[in-house]
Amino acid sequence: MSIQTTSGPAAEPVSGLFPTLVYVHGSDQRTITLDHSPFTVGRKVDKDLVIADPRVSRDHALIVSENGQFAVVDQGSKHGTFVNGERIERRTLERNDRLEFGVRDVAYVIFHPQHATSNTAREFLSQISGMHISTETTDLEKLTLFLEAARKLNTIGVLDEILVTLLDATLKLTRAERGYVFMKNEDGNLRLAAGRNSKGEPLLDDKTISHSILDDALKSNSEFVITDTSESLDLKGRHSIVAYDLRTVICIPLRKPQVQTTRDTEAPAPSEASAEVMGALYVDSRFASRDISSVSNDILRAIATEAASLIENARLVQAEEAARRYQQELAIAASMQQGLMVVTIPEVPFARLVGRNLSCKEIGGDFFDAVNTEDGLTVVLADVSGKGVSAALLASTLQGMIYSQLTARMPLAEIVTAVNRFFTQKHLGEKYATVIIARIRPDGELEYVNCGHVPPLVVSNHTVNRPTHGNLPVGLLKDATYESDRVHLKPGDRLVLVTDGVTEAENARGDFFEDSRLETVAAKSESLDDIFAAIASFCGGTPLSDDCTVVELLYTG
Amino acid sequence: MTLKMETRVADGVTIVSCNGRIVFGEESNALRDTLKQQLASTRQIVLNLSGVTYIDSGGLGTLVGVYSSARAAGADIKLTGLGQRLRDVLQITKLVTVFEVYDSEPEAIAAFHRGAA
Repeated sequence: MSIQTTSGPAAEPVSGLFPTLVYVHGSDQRTITLDHSPFTVGRKVDKDLVIADPRVSRDHALIVSENGQFAVVDQGSKHGTFVNGERIERRTLERNDRLEFGVRDVAYVIFHPQHATSNTAREFLSQISGMHISTETTDLEKLTLFLEAARKLNTIGVLDEILVTLLDATLKLTRAERGYVFMKNEDGNLRLAAGRNSKGEPLLDDKTISHSILDDALKSNSEFVITDTSESLDLKGRHSIVAYDLRTVICIPLRKPQVQTTRDTEAPAPSEASAEVMGALYVDSRFASRDISSVSNDILRAIATEAASLIENARLVQAEEAARRYQQELAIAASMQQGLMVVTIPEVPFARLVGRNLSCKEIGGDFFDAVNTEDGLTVVLADVSGKGVSAALLASTLQGMIYSQLTARMPLAEIVTAVNRFFTQKHLGEKYATVIIARIRPDGELEYVNCGHVPPLVVSNHTVNRPTHGNLPVGLLKDATYESDRVHLKPGDRLVLVTDGVTEAENARGDFFEDSRLETVAAKSESLDDIFAAIASFCGGTPLSDDCTVVELLYTG
Repeated sequence: MTLKMETRVADGVTIVSCNGRIVFGEESNALRDTLKQQLASTRQIVLNLSGVTYIDSGGLGTLVGVYSSARAAGADIKLTGLGQRLRDVLQITKLVTVFEVYDSEPEAIAAFHRGAA
């Protein structure tokens, strides 16, 4: 079997599976896959490409597929069809051709532009096919090499390129005329994913293949099915075979590669048929052409295995790509969340507020906020149970709810009651938050509502007082009721609020920082730095397992 | 997993004894599963937490979640064997007003019988 081993400038007028059209209208741009023929262009709404401009005729032009090439045909439009600035009646299209329909400059179409990424992948492919290897397995090896290259390039749309390459290789190996790959979609039906003929031209239409043989092959347990229509008379009745003179059809079901686990060694090996069918590779030849029924079984078996694992690998590459994008989305979400957590501390003449957060590795559910209204300066500190994205999401919602109600000057107890009602009605599983909201008035009166949070510290003249009034956390029990409490601050008094990440900061021995250490340092300290320094020296090198947030409000009078 | 649980029946009341840490994740899931499984066949559970060294916010959420759904289904979970730390946590969160807490297992069991009588 001889295999073409030299590469040159691509002979195919159209590379890739289906060519694309990039439609540019003003600053908008969209990509259209040219997956059927004729593709209609005009002002009428039922056109494949509708250009709503009076200079575009209702039936303006067609893009048609012929002999593996595409051509644009003007339909007698008033203002004409242009290819690269030249008015035409009919023109065969080449990559990067610029098409204009009546309306010039404002809207135009680029035929099958070459993207940088697919270009590079193709270059890799041509390098690979240019290598001088001439045994039967080389095409399969090339596919593997191509996949490696594609994976390195992280090419989008790698699956399509793989399918085309797979078809070209299969056609060379089997010497069949036409080849198609069908992939199962979500509802279990087969969908044409790629088609090529032996000249390397794309085949967009699967009407002329034998679907009955395709179905039979998928239902059968064998690795591949060869049907020589000249030998089996009962096939003569099958529509496509008669209508299109099909002589030999080879159909290879593509089964998901089985992952071998150690446990499987004792259990009987799963039969081929039990493996999930993900698609089919179909090649055929007509009566008039060469006979492909004598293709060696070994080659077909090799294609069946290699093709399935190639496609599966390509799918994995795509999944990786999707996961990478998902990661990016998450990173954006995280930075937005951090943006929300940025607090602009209001300046008021009677008090000074500072707050600091020390985050552990994971995204946490701590937040603090400050709002100044005519009622006084209000500070909010909350800790949502759990960590990660779900906690951050809940923290953002909680922050928004509390902020808006504070600016609407709602009473503190009503705010947390509303928040609790909201969270318990939403069935958020077992997620809840401990919240403390404290409001200092210019005259020194401090009102606070504590919902399951670490009690606040009131530091007055180096002594620490812990107002213990409290309520249930928000989000746990729907009937919970909430009350606030009041204390009076003298000028120079400080209110210190912490999250339990502070009191539960651990050292290497597994001891907690505890309220006692917090109270000691709070009594002595002049600033937040002292408190964080005390936590750091207590923990030593032990990393924080939870966010630590400390807020300090100094009443200056 | 850092949580071990034992279940037995005393005087017609199911006792679930916990040892270790009740933290969000595997441990809190195991606690929820164990209690839900018991609630399928009994309405009276005493949860003995004397062997629990630590409960985090997630673990507490699970405890309240299971307790609420038990109450809604006409069953009851009483707590006993709370160490100082757990008492502090329930005090801070005011959950001490939600749960029935007893100093000893016999007292918790007796409370069920009083209620039934």
